[in-house]
Amino acid sequence: MITDALPGAEVEVVDETGGGDHLRAIVRAPQFEGKSRVDQHRMVRAAVQPRMDDGSIHALSITTKPA
Amino acid sequence: MPANPELKQKVEEVLHENRVLLFMKGTPEMPRCGFSMRLVGVLEQMRTEYGAIDVLPILDPLREVTGEISDWRTFPQLYVNGELVGGCDIVEEMFESGELAELLGVQQPEAASAPSQAPPADPQQSPPLQVDGS
Repeated sequence: MITDALPGAEVEVVDETGGGDHLRAIVRAPQFEGKSRVDQHRMVRAAVQPRMDDGSIHALSITTKPA
Repeated sequence: MPANPELKQKVEEVLHENRVLLFMKGTPEMPRCGFSMRLVGVLEQMRTEYGAIDVLPILDPLREVTGEISDWRTFPQLYVNGELVGGCDIVEEMFESGELAELLGVQQPEAASAPSQAPPADPQQSPPLQVDGS
């Protein structure tokens, strides 16, 4: 979902509890260049919002890096 | 669903009145989620005064309000000078890099590292603020 919203992004998703609902996304994307961390996180969050809304993701930790 | 205007106004007042404001689940003495606990731990190391609001009694209405104010609907959230700094991830990154100390105008603590244990029993901060539910 993240690479759909952010083409060219490198994404690694880690399941933090083994239960599939506490995830950590590590995202490296050229689109992050020059953007504040808050904006970078908003972009990632927007990409996965349907999964947050339907409750399948309970908690998402995000680490972003410009490409 | 639009945000409750009274609650939004109250939040804006609180943001104005507190240089450093934390929206968290639970209280600094008793955080009720791991991310909130970690963010409190970072603020404690900064040794700066801060206000804390327990979002749990008014969770959904408050998500609407912060969604409108900052386009950010998850908690915890840290605001400095009325602006969203971020959630736990962002604050921890800024803490480790020294950016948070710079933003708060305090000295970077030695051996800065995001804490993983519970905050001290006697935190040095202003008492948590309670916002009545809508």
